[in-house]
Amino acid sequence: MAHCGPKKQRRRRKHKHHFGGDTHKTILLMGLPNVGKSAIFSRFTGLDAMVSNYSGTTVEFYEAPMTINNETYLLKDAPGIYNLQNPNDDAERVAMDMMKDRPEAIVFVLDAINFESSLHLLMQVLEYNIPTVVALNRTDLMKSRGMTIDRSLLQNRLNVSVIPTVALKGNSLDLVKYALRQTIDKEVQYTVPTENKDRWRTVEELNEEAVKTTPRKNGVDRFAFLAKPFPGIPIALLVLATMFAFVIGFGMGLRQFLLLPFFNSLVFPYIRQGVEALTASELLRAILIGEDYGFLIKGIEWPFALVLPYVISFYAMMSVLEDTGYLPRIAVLLDGVFKKIGLSGSSAIPLLLGYGCGIPAIMSTRSLPSRKQRLSVAVMVCFAVPCVSQTGAFIALLAERSVFAFLFIFFVSIFAMVIVGLIMDKINKQSVPFTLMELPPLLVPAPKLLSKKILFRVRHYLKEGAVPMVVAIFFAAILYELGFFPALGRALSPVVSGWLMLPEAASTPLVLGVFRRELAVLPLLDLDLTTVQFFTGALVALFYVPCIAMIATLAKEFNVKTALLVFIATTATALFIGGLFARGYDAIMMLFG
Amino acid sequence: MKPIDTYPRTQSFDIENIHSLSRGEEGTISDVPEMSLLASLGLRLGKRVKLLSKSFAGGPVVLSVDDRSIAVDRELAEKITIRK
Repeated sequence: MAHCGPKKQRRRRKHKHHFGGDTHKTILLMGLPNVGKSAIFSRFTGLDAMVSNYSGTTVEFYEAPMTINNETYLLKDAPGIYNLQNPNDDAERVAMDMMKDRPEAIVFVLDAINFESSLHLLMQVLEYNIPTVVALNRTDLMKSRGMTIDRSLLQNRLNVSVIPTVALKGNSLDLVKYALRQTIDKEVQYTVPTENKDRWRTVEELNEEAVKTTPRKNGVDRFAFLAKPFPGIPIALLVLATMFAFVIGFGMGLRQFLLLPFFNSLVFPYIRQGVEALTASELLRAILIGEDYGFLIKGIEWPFALVLPYVISFYAMMSVLEDTGYLPRIAVLLDGVFKKIGLSGSSAIPLLLGYGCGIPAIMSTRSLPSRKQRLSVAVMVCFAVPCVSQTGAFIALLAERSVFAFLFIFFVSIFAMVIVGLIMDKINKQSVPFTLMELPPLLVPAPKLLSKKILFRVRHYLKEGAVPMVVAIFFAAILYELGFFPALGRALSPVVSGWLMLPEAASTPLVLGVFRRELAVLPLLDLDLTTVQFFTGALVALFYVPCIAMIATLAKEFNVKTALLVFIATTATALFIGGLFARGYDAIMMLFG
Repeated sequence: MKPIDTYPRTQSFDIENIHSLSRGEEGTISDVPEMSLLASLGLRLGKRVKLLSKSFAGGPVVLSVDDRSIAVDRELAEKITIRK
């Protein structure tokens, strides 16, 4: 069917890529969504890549150097797609552009489970006549389903090397590399049908010939109940409740029994001793190790002892949930409800991510089908979804006083999300595109890839979250000791004491909260407040300006106007609702108490 | 795609849309809108599909085709016809 040989086109291989000024030869990883491309990427490069089971997370692609035949190539993980012609969405457009850039070679991940669709895409890829190696992946699932695929028949028909692999476990990936070494310098000329209709026919014929299946009783139906309203919804609620219980329980345990004792007995005493030995200046000592905003104390305690444990427990849980392939089931269950506010069920994923950090949440809205949906979900995250740092702070603030108040904050968060969604839908009426998605098979996550992913995310928090928090605390310490905050408190006192009924000192978290979400909460801890005042503070913090980094992300992903509007609207809403609560509570107490 | 009329059929009421299947029922696709994603997800002429579940509040139906689970919008499901 096909032939390859050292013919013309030799010039093409001299063509190099211009990437950020450097010239790189590239190797492209191609395949359908959720077939193990990212797992192969991760195993090949040894660097960090996000491996996820949810359709769409690879719209951002990853790249890392890889050595073949003593030459360094840039391995690019193309977004998972179904189709290379007439792109339907951004992912397909990105993948098509990558093909047009003519990489040196392609590793095509042929999914043994989605054999026909994979083959259909492979034929479109082969049309480009770029040296291609095929990894026939998920052969373990294939065997467990009683299927066999005739590898040599495929090899002969398509004239490519086909290597059976199990990417999740790393099986046979060395062979893929070996085949790549053999293929990369060859000139190739593949013969494949180019008409869509012929292509599907060829695919179905090949499938008929190459695939043998012994029929089995339990197919995908086994887990079908997860997407049924009953028992799917109760199960989803149970899963999410378990997740949050774990996040809070594990995080609190980590904090109380490991991190706090560690810092309090092994780190802080030495820092105090060291500073006291180095300087006698009262001001400098106060800035560095003072009770309130001592930079070397709070700058370590807040980001690393109070917030980090919850970051670890949240991402551990979220990554497990992603890698099992369960999340798309939640999206299907919620689809009908989300439609009522003009969104599709897949909006549930960015919203859930938002409970971790708003920035990846806003970025992940890229996988949503329309700009309107992206904007709605991003604004919902900004208004009503507390990030994990802030949740950690809420726990420290509320849960230890009143679990009820803590749960109530989350109830308010969900309620507010619906309201914001409804308003956004009213402002920006648009029809919702059809829901059409594959529910990936449920998997037991591979521990190695899972731990890599969690590590990657925690490292991201340390770089993008903890460092800015330390900087913000540093400036707060200086301003505080220079007497800036009392003056600010007096200036803001009509709002803070007059309207919100909080002490003047509570103006500090309002100012700091602009920089970091949890800083709108944490300073309240050190004030002597009643539970109602704590709750007012928490309520204000929930709706208040999402951190400055999120505003910047909004400006980048949408535009400056949107970012400014969100900035103003969140501040106004936070103050309005906080005051309303404080006054409402006051009025009720006067009536009944 | 072949037009629906070229398929031999004995009685016209054998034809239904996917959404009217009840849970666990199977059928063979006799007509499907021309969408590349539908084809890639396995929803093509002559394919055997089984309805796994229906959602509530106008949510999608979940089908099994070639041992894959595909969630299809209710409106779209009504445009896919099948023969039992």
